[in-house]
Amino acid sequence: MSFLNIDSVKDRTFDAIVVGSGISGGWAAKELTGKGLRTLVLERGRDVKHITDYPTTMMQPWEFAHLGQLSKEYIDANPVASRCYANREDATHFFVKDAEHPYVQEKPFDWIRGYHVGGKSLMWARGTQRWSDYDFDGPARDGFAVDWPIRYADIAPWYSYVEKFAGISGNKDGLAALPDGEFLPPHEQSCVEKHFTDQMAKRYNGTRPVIIGRCAHLTKPQPIHYQQGRAQCQNRSLCQRGCPYGGYFSSNSSTLPWAAKTGKMTLRPDSVVHSIIYDEKLGKASGVRVVDAHTKEMTEYYAKIIFLNAACLNTNLVLLNSKSSRFPNGLGNDNGLLGKYVAFHNFRTTISAEHEGFQDTTTEGIRPNGSYIPRFRNVFKQETDFLRGYAAGFGSSRATSVDTSAMGEDLKASLMQPKYGNWRVSSHMMGETIPKETNYVALDSALTDAWGIPQLKISVGYDDNDEKMIADFHEQMTEMLTVAGFTNIRTHDKPDKAPGLDIHEMGGVRMGKDPKTSMLNKWNQLHTCKNVFVTDGACMTSTSTQNPSLTFMAITARAADHAVKEMKKGLL
Amino acid sequence: MQRRSVLKNLAMTIGGLVSLPAWASGWTPDSLGAISTLSVDNEALLADIVETFIPETATPGAKSLNVHKFAMRMINDCYGEAAQTTLQQGLALVDSTAQQTYNKPFSNGDAAQRMDVLTKVSASTDPTGKAFVDMVKKLTIQGYMNSEYYLVNVEKFNMAPGFYHGCVPVSKLAVNGSK
Repeated sequence: MSFLNIDSVKDRTFDAIVVGSGISGGWAAKELTGKGLRTLVLERGRDVKHITDYPTTMMQPWEFAHLGQLSKEYIDANPVASRCYANREDATHFFVKDAEHPYVQEKPFDWIRGYHVGGKSLMWARGTQRWSDYDFDGPARDGFAVDWPIRYADIAPWYSYVEKFAGISGNKDGLAALPDGEFLPPHEQSCVEKHFTDQMAKRYNGTRPVIIGRCAHLTKPQPIHYQQGRAQCQNRSLCQRGCPYGGYFSSNSSTLPWAAKTGKMTLRPDSVVHSIIYDEKLGKASGVRVVDAHTKEMTEYYAKIIFLNAACLNTNLVLLNSKSSRFPNGLGNDNGLLGKYVAFHNFRTTISAEHEGFQDTTTEGIRPNGSYIPRFRNVFKQETDFLRGYAAGFGSSRATSVDTSAMGEDLKASLMQPKYGNWRVSSHMMGETIPKETNYVALDSALTDAWGIPQLKISVGYDDNDEKMIADFHEQMTEMLTVAGFTNIRTHDKPDKAPGLDIHEMGGVRMGKDPKTSMLNKWNQLHTCKNVFVTDGACMTSTSTQNPSLTFMAITARAADHAVKEMKKGLL
Repeated sequence: MQRRSVLKNLAMTIGGLVSLPAWASGWTPDSLGAISTLSVDNEALLADIVETFIPETATPGAKSLNVHKFAMRMINDCYGEAAQTTLQQGLALVDSTAQQTYNKPFSNGDAAQRMDVLTKVSASTDPTGKAFVDMVKKLTIQGYMNSEYYLVNVEKFNMAPGFYHGCVPVSKLAVNGSK
């Protein structure tokens, strides 16, 4: 028996464990296996193999019974999941069902999740902009959070590193607030978007640039992408179904198969991580406890280093649930900050308008991208009565309509000849929210999920700063659209829209210089448990306005590089 | 079999790296499935109503494209109970209006008579009449304009390879026959 046990422990021992297989977990898996570490990748949901497990990806629009619309039964059963813009009839199989994975909303919060191999990297919106020094400097300058322990120079080479592999399209715009990257050719702006770009450059003297979005699409694949088995983006814009071409970056099409090719990766789906095991004698973490999603049986796995990439809020949950006599309040939580200072991006409001010009032009085809307005508020100096700022998406299309007043052959004839209306544009705000101690997550003291793990209690809301920012977005965008000749300008704030639908939750395990005021050091190691690395959204000290995924990728690759170097020095 | 050829093209696009997944051969063209929310008679009546909105000419009409089945599916699955009641009551109203006006079932009327009946139902003092006609007309147009026939032949829809041009002259598109 004892021999068997020893063998069993050996079988469950790896060099590294990665918890989670989404955007950051995939990168951890790729980097750690690439450096020769035998790596166990744990995913709480089912396996999703690239192409094979994208059941709707080649379906034609008319093959869906409801033309993409969600059924009433589904919406009634899943009010949270069905509010996500990407969750349509073709993608429900990738969204967590409300009832299966309950959580406690101390304040309303729409927690959107994808529990399967690849996580939300399959359903993300693929915006990928770098941060600049103005973003990493922000907290130190404004005093709204603790100082970041890193600056742009620390992460710039890692941005380049992940951009080349993932494939990011964009234009070299030369903006101080939004550094250029290693870009594949950019998508094209429509003539009305170009007009807006030109007008802004002229009227605001270059202080309010409008650019084509930077996104994780292979507009012109390079050899490294073909080596991954990926091909050119086909402009289908059906990304939420999973892309059979690997046209956009996902863990499933890119990092995970790359990690698998090393022969060093063991991917274990259906493995719900319960907690991290802390070994008091060694003074560090020795492994993780895993509940089998189906049998509910608990197994321990061991490794020298652990990368926690469960996605922001679940990473917080795992750490909070990792209790030991050394850490009674959660792993690494001597300062009581774990789960606090959660922040997000405010997507509550949009603005729309029309342009009566450009009547002789339209767009043709589909573009899985839009234009982008980088943050122009409080970038170089504090100039408003609110902290930080907002970026915005900006899209356009030439509307067509048909006259439906008749019936019979007259109606049929008019359906065959759609009439062009005005160009329509719309813009959505992506506002930075301020990390606050009162925006927190914690374990519920009574409720557990189906795997015996405490439910997460989420208490995250808007504040006055967010309201001021929304008002400023309305005011500034109205002015900008007006000077560019747009008409019928309308704002659409939704005060009832809960945080969470932005799917940009960040923080709770923030980085910082001082163990008294932060959880992680500049290498994403827990200050008080150095062989545990947190490199998903939980590590973010502040949120800035850019889509966060690219930064998670770069931070993960950087931390993995450091982890392996430290391991080789015998320091972990 | 259309899916298979799409996948074959896909496999060629990326240099034979893709093996056909299991579900590729499991496709059936009738994605609507069986819908038994209406009696056979009422289903036939609904088919004649959608055909009255968009009739067969040199090109298919709404009935032969099964737009009535699409409408039934949407009302049953997406619209809620009030709409289901409107559907049932509206069909009865169409039948009784046809009998009162022309002394024959709706389906036996010619195109002009059928249109007249629907106009009368819409103007009825019973508010269900207008709600029914508006709902079925909207679904007929939606179903027709998203049918395989319309998307392929009128819209020239092609899933892949796609493209995007940000600024093209409207006239050029009119010549090409798409919108």
